[in-house]
Amino acid sequence: MVLDQDLVRHLSESSVSVELDTEDMTLNIGPQHPSTHGVLRLKARVDGERAYEVQPVIGYMHRGYEKLSEVRTYPQITTLVNRIDWVSGYANEIPFIVAAEKLLGVEVPERAQYIRLILTEMARISSHLIFMASYPLELGAATPLFFALRERERVLDLLEGVTGGRFHPNFNRIGGVKPAYGSGSATRKVIQDLPAGFLAETRDAMDKVVEAVDELNQLVADNEIIVARTKGVGVLPAEVAVAYGVSGPNLRASGVGFDLRKVEDYLPYHLFDFEIPTGENGDCWDRWHVRLLEIRQSVRIVQQAIDGIPSGPLQAKVPKVIKVPQGETYVRAENPKGEMGYYLVSNGNQGPYRLKIRSASFSNISILPWILEGVLVPDIIAIMGSLDFVLGDVDR
Amino acid sequence: MTSSPSETETAAVHPLQEYADRVAAAVGGDGTVTFDTVKVRVPLERWVDALSTARDELGLVFFSWLSAVDWSSEVEVGDPFPEPVEDRFELLAAVADVSEGRRVIFSTDLEKETPAAPTLIEVYAGANWHEREAHEMFGIHFDGHPNLIHLYLPDQFLGNPLRKSYPLLSREVKPWPGTVDVEAMPGSDEGTEDEGAEDEGAGGDGAAADAPSEENPEA
Repeated sequence: MVLDQDLVRHLSESSVSVELDTEDMTLNIGPQHPSTHGVLRLKARVDGERAYEVQPVIGYMHRGYEKLSEVRTYPQITTLVNRIDWVSGYANEIPFIVAAEKLLGVEVPERAQYIRLILTEMARISSHLIFMASYPLELGAATPLFFALRERERVLDLLEGVTGGRFHPNFNRIGGVKPAYGSGSATRKVIQDLPAGFLAETRDAMDKVVEAVDELNQLVADNEIIVARTKGVGVLPAEVAVAYGVSGPNLRASGVGFDLRKVEDYLPYHLFDFEIPTGENGDCWDRWHVRLLEIRQSVRIVQQAIDGIPSGPLQAKVPKVIKVPQGETYVRAENPKGEMGYYLVSNGNQGPYRLKIRSASFSNISILPWILEGVLVPDIIAIMGSLDFVLGDVDR
Repeated sequence: MTSSPSETETAAVHPLQEYADRVAAAVGGDGTVTFDTVKVRVPLERWVDALSTARDELGLVFFSWLSAVDWSSEVEVGDPFPEPVEDRFELLAAVADVSEGRRVIFSTDLEKETPAAPTLIEVYAGANWHEREAHEMFGIHFDGHPNLIHLYLPDQFLGNPLRKSYPLLSREVKPWPGTVDVEAMPGSDEGTEDEGAEDEGAGGDGAAADAPSEENPEA
């Protein structure tokens, strides 16, 4: 039987507004709701099946990193910034380290830059795979989780092999990188390098990731329920997105082909050939699909970087006690979640005078009151999940 | 999509300086470039106008962030500047375009006693949360903000944590990084003697405190 959609809509609306006497209700979601990816609380006024005046309440994870940075030295701060967006901890280190290097005037050896770039893209892949795992789960499909997490483990194992950490690598040093495995103890001046076989294993893993992404695409794109719950839901126009500072895949899903990897020089992305996937409608489906396509582009970048990685030192010569000269700079990077930047004010000491942390998820969820206005209650979960935020990245 | 803007390469002058001057002229401010960062200082009374111009005429439609710097000569935490600075709050708003990769940080000075600035919500809707954060962290009042309540901090929280006059209590109780529980690394003397330990307020054991952060962070 084919239902006349106009008739169905008409019936449901009339039954709500005419026959039932509805009463506004305040609905609390969180802070412990599993689909909020951490501790986010939403207060919403619910009228029938629709939510209005949704107010996110954040701050449950606030750790005061901007204040803590003022009493720590530069090498110590990388351990803090790892924990901002813990799903892609490695990528958080890069703009901070680059900002400090910029003020110091340190030239990072080419091999170290390639390693940073490869690991950043692997962090992006693992972050997007977490999204690929959790988003269908929130929509009621459990199977993609296993496919995505299996591949994520593959990538994280490799990251761990180089850095010693799955989530918090703390791998970048001012002037280069410092692999955990190498030869000799940390106190002896020995040359350390990538673990043997890392590049070959990474190449294999990338091939497998691409295969798995195709599988994931089949599982999700061929699933009518997921498509019905995401297509046309939570549409975010580009003009609204930029005014709120929504960045990264969420912005690109709204049709803006803007990627900081193409315009900033924090890592040598200009050497590699890759495309910027964009969406057309800015709905939940596009936000899912853009991330899926981005994984393929990241794989391309990693493969090219493995082919072209030069040999050489991993660390530039820097003083043992690092004092960054006076100055101010802002360095931003394309993180998996969007624009991550650090505004660094140095007064010539071992730690910053002021470090402003611009995190992507903070601006990305500031759109929630706008985008959740008047949506159906079940769509709240579909829309929030599609924005792919991490509360550590919101609260800093 | 172009690579980083470098069309006007001249010796000594930064390639972005010409762009900084153009923005400054359009908004009636003063443009500088430090370490590839374009910063335009505007007077407080032109704050909202300047950002409206940036959005409407310069194409800087993307609202990146808003925050402040507490410029103080007397600090409770961290290290002060070597020479005294003019006491003030500097309000910063970073905006960008979404095509060529241009980005500008607008800056204005607020007086220290009762810092206040007009809200930017009418120009960039995203300023809402950033201004709430600056309000609770620095005690800056934003005139015309519809919902200037705490964002991160609990409602009962007193004080403005990111002010330089606000002490970090955990550090008062126990100096950190600890000078007590860390042994000097072998051979750490030659690296630290010229850099000096005079910046460690406690004095004395600065070399021992510095060495592990560089050589062995897992210690």
